[in-house]
Amino acid sequence: MKHRPDDTLETPITSMIDIVFQLIIFFVVTSAIDKDVVDESIKLASAQNAPAVETVDPHSVTINLHSDGEINVAMMPMSLPQLRNFLISMRSQSGNATPILIRCDGTTRYRKIDQVMQVVTEAGLYRVRIVAMLEE
Amino acid sequence: MKKRAPETLAVPMSSMIDVVFQLLIYFIVTARDEVTEAHLAVNLPSPGNAKVSENKPKMLELEVHPRSLRLQGMELSQAEVSKMLVSLGKGDKDLTVLVKVSLESFASDLVTALDLCDKAGLVNLNVVTLK
Repeated sequence: MKHRPDDTLETPITSMIDIVFQLIIFFVVTSAIDKDVVDESIKLASAQNAPAVETVDPHSVTINLHSDGEINVAMMPMSLPQLRNFLISMRSQSGNATPILIRCDGTTRYRKIDQVMQVVTEAGLYRVRIVAMLEE
Repeated sequence: MKKRAPETLAVPMSSMIDVVFQLLIYFIVTARDEVTEAHLAVNLPSPGNAKVSENKPKMLELEVHPRSLRLQGMELSQAEVSKMLVSLGKGDKDLTVLVKVSLESFASDLVTALDLCDKAGLVNLNVVTLK
């Protein structure tokens, strides 16, 4: 009786590895964008009608404002005087038309937002925008 | 002379696959839905923009209080404010809305007011603090 040659029992994994690598590259590319300036713990107020933002001016400064009044820029905590000095230095670099984005929690009192806006005005900047989450 | 057994040239893949799967699981778990954002403009006085216009702009006052809105002094629901702003905005796109915000109101109240103005196509907004 003739013997059959040994069957190879290996699973073909080449294509699976290709797909897995593509998935990893996708997640790496999409997750790294803007992570450094956006404070994910802030729950933005929602808007329904405003147009969605496609591109953000690379010179814009994002100020994260928590409901308790805590301020941070690029995750670096700041007091109001520190923020003023920072904005003054930004104005000297990029001009007084530098866009300021205030990312505040929906439950933040306007009192806190007003304090930040006063600091922005004192720093000689005027293009202020409140960031909201767009409801689909 | 003794013959050597043929060497296997296969690359050991098991450990690499383990690492790759762990990476994949990490990214899937930590990935979040992308939030679409809107930027609502708040006009602050710009330096060197102190020209006095000859024609007094038509002004509409929208007061923002905690969980309530007042248009020209009348407390109205959100839907009513929206309806009135849309009808006023149709007639005059140059209409300026003076948004007076109470210090005790919330960011969400301000966003709602700015959003309603946006819906009505009113772009000349001035946000001031109601003290």
